[in-house]
Amino acid sequence: MPFEARPKQQEVLNYTGGKMGVAAVPGSGKTVTLSALAARLVAGNSLGDDQEVLVVTLVNSAVDNFAGQVAGFLAGHGLLPNLGFRVRTLHGLAHDIVRERPALVALSDDFQIIDERESGRILRDTAEAWLSSHPDMINDFLALDLDERQREWVRGDQWPDLITNIASNFIRQAKDWQLTPAELRDHLDRYLQTLPLAEMGWAIYADYQRALVYRGAVDFDDLIRLALEALELDQDLLERLRQRWPYILEDEAQDSSRLQQRILALLAGSDPSTSTGTAGNWVRVGDPNQAIYETFTTASPEHLREFLARADVERRELPNSGRSTQSIIDLANYLIDWTQEKHPVEAVRGALTPPHIEPTPPGDPQPNPVDRHGQVQIVGRKFTPQEEIHAVADSIARWLPDHVDQTVAVLVPRNLRGFQVVNELERRGIKHVELLRSTRATRETAGALGNVVNYLADPVSAAKLARVYRVWRRDDREDADAQRRVDRVAQALRRCRRVEGFLWPRVGRDWMDDAGFSDELLGIREHLDEFRRLVRRWHEAALLPIDQLILTLAQDLFDEPVDLAMAHKLAVVLGRVSERHPDWRLPELTEELAVIARNERRFLGLSDEDTRFNPEHHRGQVVVSTVHKAKGLEWDRVYLISVNNYNFPAGLPHDQFISERWFVRDSLNLEAEGLAQLRAAVGKTAEDAQGRASSYVEGEATRKARFSYATERMRLLYVGITRAKRDLIMTWNSGKRGDQQPAVPFIALQTFWEAGGAERA
Amino acid sequence: MTLQHVSSVQGIEHLSPHQQVLVEHPISSKIFLEGPAGAGKTTTGVARLLHYLDVGVPAHSILVLTPQRTLGTPYHEAARSPEIDAGGEITLLTIGGLAQRMVDLFWPLIAEGAGFGHPQQPPTFLTLETAQYYMARLVRPLLDQGYFESVTIDRNRLCSQIIDNLNKAAVVGFPYTEIGERLKSAWGGQQSRERIYEEAQICASRFRRHCLEHSLLDFSLQVEVFLKHLWTRPICRDYLTSRYRHILVDNVEDDVPVTHDLLREWIPSAESAFLIYDHEAGYRRFLGADPEGGYALRDRCEEHAALKESFVMLPGVQTLSHELTKSMDGPPSSSTPSGDVRPALVYEYHRYHPEMLDWIAEQVCALVEGQSVPPGEIAVLAPFLSDALRFSLTNRLERLGIPTRSHRPSRALREEPATHCLLTLAVLAHPEWGIVPTRFDVAHALIQAIEGMDLVRAQLLTDIVYRTENNVPSLGSFDRIRSEMQERLTFVLGERYEGLRAWIKGYASSTPERPGDPAPSHSGETDHGGPSNGTQAGSGPRCQLFDHFLSRLFGELLSQPGYGFHRDYDSAEVAANLIESVRKFRWATEEVRASGENPTSVGEEYIQMVEDGVIAAQYIRSWQLEPEDAVLLAPAYTFIIRNRPVDYEFWLNVGGRGWWERLYQPLTHPYVLSRHWPPPDRQDTTWTDMDEVEAREEALYRLTKGLIRRCRRRVYLGLSELGEQGNEQKGPLLHAIQRVLREMPAEPADSAGGSDLTTHAI
Repeated sequence: MPFEARPKQQEVLNYTGGKMGVAAVPGSGKTVTLSALAARLVAGNSLGDDQEVLVVTLVNSAVDNFAGQVAGFLAGHGLLPNLGFRVRTLHGLAHDIVRERPALVALSDDFQIIDERESGRILRDTAEAWLSSHPDMINDFLALDLDERQREWVRGDQWPDLITNIASNFIRQAKDWQLTPAELRDHLDRYLQTLPLAEMGWAIYADYQRALVYRGAVDFDDLIRLALEALELDQDLLERLRQRWPYILEDEAQDSSRLQQRILALLAGSDPSTSTGTAGNWVRVGDPNQAIYETFTTASPEHLREFLARADVERRELPNSGRSTQSIIDLANYLIDWTQEKHPVEAVRGALTPPHIEPTPPGDPQPNPVDRHGQVQIVGRKFTPQEEIHAVADSIARWLPDHVDQTVAVLVPRNLRGFQVVNELERRGIKHVELLRSTRATRETAGALGNVVNYLADPVSAAKLARVYRVWRRDDREDADAQRRVDRVAQALRRCRRVEGFLWPRVGRDWMDDAGFSDELLGIREHLDEFRRLVRRWHEAALLPIDQLILTLAQDLFDEPVDLAMAHKLAVVLGRVSERHPDWRLPELTEELAVIARNERRFLGLSDEDTRFNPEHHRGQVVVSTVHKAKGLEWDRVYLISVNNYNFPAGLPHDQFISERWFVRDSLNLEAEGLAQLRAAVGKTAEDAQGRASSYVEGEATRKARFSYATERMRLLYVGITRAKRDLIMTWNSGKRGDQQPAVPFIALQTFWEAGGAERA
Repeated sequence: MTLQHVSSVQGIEHLSPHQQVLVEHPISSKIFLEGPAGAGKTTTGVARLLHYLDVGVPAHSILVLTPQRTLGTPYHEAARSPEIDAGGEITLLTIGGLAQRMVDLFWPLIAEGAGFGHPQQPPTFLTLETAQYYMARLVRPLLDQGYFESVTIDRNRLCSQIIDNLNKAAVVGFPYTEIGERLKSAWGGQQSRERIYEEAQICASRFRRHCLEHSLLDFSLQVEVFLKHLWTRPICRDYLTSRYRHILVDNVEDDVPVTHDLLREWIPSAESAFLIYDHEAGYRRFLGADPEGGYALRDRCEEHAALKESFVMLPGVQTLSHELTKSMDGPPSSSTPSGDVRPALVYEYHRYHPEMLDWIAEQVCALVEGQSVPPGEIAVLAPFLSDALRFSLTNRLERLGIPTRSHRPSRALREEPATHCLLTLAVLAHPEWGIVPTRFDVAHALIQAIEGMDLVRAQLLTDIVYRTENNVPSLGSFDRIRSEMQERLTFVLGERYEGLRAWIKGYASSTPERPGDPAPSHSGETDHGGPSNGTQAGSGPRCQLFDHFLSRLFGELLSQPGYGFHRDYDSAEVAANLIESVRKFRWATEEVRASGENPTSVGEEYIQMVEDGVIAAQYIRSWQLEPEDAVLLAPAYTFIIRNRPVDYEFWLNVGGRGWWERLYQPLTHPYVLSRHWPPPDRQDTTWTDMDEVEAREEALYRLTKGLIRRCRRRVYLGLSELGEQGNEQKGPLLHAIQRVLREMPAEPADSAGGSDLTTHAI
C-alpha cells in the first residue's frame, strides 16, 4: 500500500521512543499515520520474537481496519503481515490481561462475559425487585402537578425504566472508581447526610453483583476494573506484559477513560508509583474536538489535553486534512471559533478548541476537493419530523441517479431516527445500507435462523412455514423468474390450512396434489419435495439442544464461510444463554435471535460489513448511520438531519434535556443526581481538595449535567459536519410536539454561511 | 503357552531383544523401567504380565495398579484373551478402587475408629455426582449468608472445587483442615479475597462432618480411611500383602503421592514388582499426580532399565518432535535444524473457523478414501472441545461417510431428548408435585413417546388437550376432540395417545405401593389388562421409588409396540441410564430422607437437581456402542491419557490460547496443594506470575511432546485467523511452530506447501 507521508505526518513517523502526543484534526490521516508507525516499529528490528507493538483503539469496527492497514504496510516492508503487533479495543485488551491470570482476580477459567443485553436484563430484574420493596420512593420525586392517572401511569410505565437507568449509571461509576458494594457501604455508613438515590444505587449494585457472581459472569465494566486490579496487584505480571508490549500506540485518545489511561500508563511503565525506571514508549493520538463518548462515563478529552501539555511528552500536530472542500473546512473552523467566543453559555465554550483544520499543502497526494456552488446547504426551513425525512428522501432520489459512483450518507442523532429514515428509503425502493447498531449481514444471518427457529416453535403455522420457504430461497431474489416462483409457492404455502398435509401427509392425502400448481412452474414437485425433506429434518432437530439445532440449520441454510462462522458463534452464544436460563424454550430463544435480527443489540458480527466498514464499497447506495457510528468515516455527500435544540441543546434555560423527565419534580436529572450523591459519599467532589466527603446539594448536578451534555453535543455536531467531503446538507425539525427550535449553533452556522461563507464557493 | 505364542495374539508382535530380556527376567525381580512415550514400555509391561501367567504365577496374586482405569485397558485385554489359561483373574485397580474395596471389606472393623458417628450404619459410597449433591445442600444456605461473594464462579463448579480440595488433601496426604491455610498463604491478590479460602475450608469441614455423621464416603474419605485406618492395621495390611504378591504399576509418574507412599512400604514385602515410568509425562498433575515422587520409587527396585527409542514416530515426526521441543526451550538457537519437518507437517491457513473445519474434514476424507488409512488411525484433537465444535465436526465427517467416536457422547444425559420425555411424563403422572411443564415440553414428549407422531400433530394435540389448573397439569381425552380435528391428528395416533393418557391417569390416581411390593420388570409383562394396543393403564400401585416408576413407564408403556422407545434402542439406552442415575441418587440420599431432613420426594428433588445442572450432567457413555475403527475426536489431554498412538493427528485451533492455559480454579490450586509446594509457615509461599508462566510453558511443552510422541506419520495443523467466537488467534503454540518453520531451508519451487504459516494462506 503506497503511503506518502506529508511533512507533519513524517514528524510523527520519525518517533523512536518515549512519550508522544499528537493532536489531529478530522481527515488528517491519523489512523493511517499510526498504522504506518506501528509497521515501522515492527520492521525496525528492535522487537524480540515474543514482543508486539500494542495498538489500542476505541471500537471493534476499528480493530480490523487497523490490523489490515498495519499488515498491508508490513507486507510493503517485505515482512510477514500478521505478526509483531496486536490491535485491541480497551475491552479486548482487558480480556487479554485478565485471561493471563483469572484466578488472581477471583475468576474461574470459564468465566463468562455477559453482554449489555444480558446485564441489562439482570439489572432490570434487580431494580424491579428493589422497587417492589420500596414502592413509596417515587413519591419523593414525582412532580407535584401530576394528576392521579398520570401518577399511576408513570409508576407503572416510566419509573422502573428510570430507576434502572439511574442504577446503571451509578454502578458503572462505582466500578470505574473500583468500589465494591462492601466498600461503598462503608462510605455511606460514614456519611452524615441521607442520600436516598445513593442508598438505592448501592442496594441494586449489591444485588446485581451477587447475581453476576452466581452466574460465574462479569460485565464489560468489571472486565476493565479487574484488568487494572490484576496489573496493580502483581508486579511480575505487569513486568511480563511490559516486556511483551514495548510500544503502545493509542488511537482515539480523546475518548480515553480514566481506567484506560491508567491501564496503559501502567503498561507503558510511566506510572510513578510502580515505575521501574523504564521510560515507557507511549504514543497517544486523538482529536479532543471529536470526543463524543463522555456522557455518564469517565471518558474525557481532558485526559489527552493534559497529556499533550506534559513536559515529558513530545507534542505533534496533524492539522492538514485533504478530506473536505474549503467551504466545509471553513464551516468547521468557524464552529470552533464561534463556540470559543460566542457560545451563549460560558460553561460550554471549551467544547471545541484549536488546532483549526488546514487544507493539505500544494503537491500533496491527497488534495482537497474543489468547491462548487451549492454544495453546502443549511436549510433554515421549519420541517415536521416527517416532512424532514420526506425532504431528504426527495433530495436523494433526485441526486442519486446522476451520482451512482459517489458515496452518500444520512447522519442521524439517534438510532430511532435512523430506522425512520431507513423505512422511508425502503418504501421508495432506494438502495441503502444501515450502520446503526448491528449491521445488516449479522442481522440477515440471525434473521434467517430466527425465522426457522420461530417456525419450529410454532410448527402449525402456515404463514411461518411460508416465511421459512422464502428464507430457504432467499438467493432467488436476484433472479426475477425464480423470484416469481418463490412468490407463488410461498403464497400457496400460506394458504395451506393444514401444514401436516404437506409435511407429514397421510397416504393419498398429499397437499401437493391439490395445491393446483400449473405446469409453468417447472420442476415444482421436486423442488417442494426437497423443501419438505429439509423441514422434516429440522422438525427432528427441534428436540436437540439449541446450539446443535442452530448448527444443523446453518448447514442447510448457508454456504458462505462468513455466514457459517456467524452461525457457529450464534450457536455458542445461544448455548450459553440456554445454560443460564434452563427454563427457556424455543420461543424465548427465538426472541433472543429476533432481537439480534431486529437490531436491538450490539453483537459483534464477523462479516466484512461489521468489522471493516468502508463507505467506498457502497457507492450509489445510501448509508444511514448515527453520527456516533460515522466517526472515522467520510462520504462525498452528507445529510446531517434533526439539528434542533433537543438533539443539540446549547444549555439555555428553554432547552429540553433528554435526561430531565417531565414527571420528575424540579426538572431534576435523576441520573446525574444519583451520581452526585455517589460522588459526595465517596469524597470525589471537586470542591473537596482533601478528598473528604462533602455535602450534597440537590439540583447542582442537574445543572452541571446540562452543560456537559451541551458540550458533548457541540462536538457531535462538529463530527457530523466534518464527515462531508463535497456536499453537506443540514436540516432541522420542530420535534414531536412541534415546539423545537433550530439548534443555536445551527443558526450561527447558517448566519455565517449566508453572510459570506457561501460566496467563497 | 510360550511367550511368543501369547504375543502373537496380543499385538505384541515385535519385542526387541532388550524388551525380551526384561520380560523374561526372573519372576522374583523388582524392576523399574523408564523411557519416553512410544518406546514400548507398556507393551513390555503387558508381555511381562503374560510371562507371569505363562510361568504359572496365579492370576489372583497379581495386582496391576494404574492412575486411571483406562490406562489398565491393555493389561485387562491381554489377560482376558482366550489364549490365556483360565486360572483366576488378575486384579486391576486404581488407588481409589483399592481403597473402596478395602473399606467395604473391613468396614465393621474400622468404622468407629475412623470417626464415623454411627458405625453400625453401612457405608454409602458417593459418586462425584452424589458428592456434589451433598455439597450443594450444605453450601446453599451459606451462600445466602454471603459466602463466596467476592469470587466469580458458577455454583456447580464451586461445589466441585471444594470437593476437589478434599481429594487433593487425601491424595497428597495432608490434613484436610489445612486446605484453607495453604491456599491463603499462596494468594498474592487482594487481601479481602482471602476470606474465600476460609469459607472454602468451612465448607470442606462441614462436608466431612456430615459424611462422618451419615456414613457417607466420598473419594477423599475412602482414600483417607484406607491409608490411615486400614493400611496401618496389621490385619488389613497382611491381607493385602499376602494376597497380592506381584505388583505391576504402569504410569507411576501420573499417580498421586499417597500411592507412591503405599508402594514404598509395600514393594519390599512383595515377591516381585514391575514399575513403569514415563519421562515427560505428568499429565494428571491437576489431579494431584506427582512425577517426582513416582521417580523416587526407583530406589525400591533392584533392577533399573530404560527404553529410549520410539517405536511410534517415523523419522519425519521425530524431527518435528526435536525441532518443536527446541523451539519451545528458549530463544532461537543458531544450530541448524536436525532435518526437514515439512514431510511430517501439513497445514493451511483460513480466516474463519468453519473453513478450518471443512478443511480438516476434507483432509481426513482424503486420507481415508484416497490413501485407505483406517479411520481409527486418525485423531482430531483440540485443547478444549466445545459441544458445538464436536457436533460440527462429527456432522461434517458423517456426511462424508466417515465414522467418528468421541471421548463422550455429544450430549449430557440431562440434555438427551429421551430424558426430557421421561421426566415430562413423570411430572404429568405426579400432579401433586406442582411442577408444570411447558407446552413445548409436552409436545416434544409426545413426539418421542408415540411412534409416528410428528411435530405438527404433537403441537396441535398439545394445544387442545394439555391444560393446567391451579398449578396442576392434566391431559384431556382424545375422544372429546372435534371429529374434524381427530381426523387431522389421525385415529391411529389418537388411539396411541389415549393409551398413554390412560396409563398416566391410571397411575396418578392409584394408591401408593406397599413396602415389599415387587419391583417392576422391564419387560412390561404384567397381569393387568390394558388398552388394546398392548399397554396397560398405570393402575398398579403408585411407586414409592422414582426409579421404579421410570422402569414401569418404560416397561409398561414406552417400550410397547406403537410407542416411541419400542424400536428406538438409543432412547431405550438413555432410559436405562436415567433409571440407573436415579437409583444411585436414591441410594445416596436415602439417609437424609430417612432422617426426615428432606421432605421432598426423590422424583421431585431429582428433577430439581437436573434443572440446576447438579446431576445427570455426566456423559455416560455406556449406551454408545462406538465403532472401534473410527476417527477419534477428543481433547488433547484425554487422547494422551488414553495412551494409544495413531498414524495421523489433527490439531485444531493451533493459534488458540487454550493450548497454553491450564484450568484456573479460584478455589483450588493443583500446584499449591501438592507435596512440592512449601508449607504455609514458610516465607516463600506466594504463587507468583513467574510460577504461573513456568507452569504453563512446561504444560505446553509436555502436551505437544506427548502428542507428537503418540503420532506415527504426520501432524495436520488446523489454523484459522478468527477462533470459534470470532476472536483473533495468535497463541504461543502458533509462535513456536512458526519459529520451527522459519528455521527450515527454502522449499523447492515446485513444492505444494509454503514454508511459513502466514504465507501459506488460502
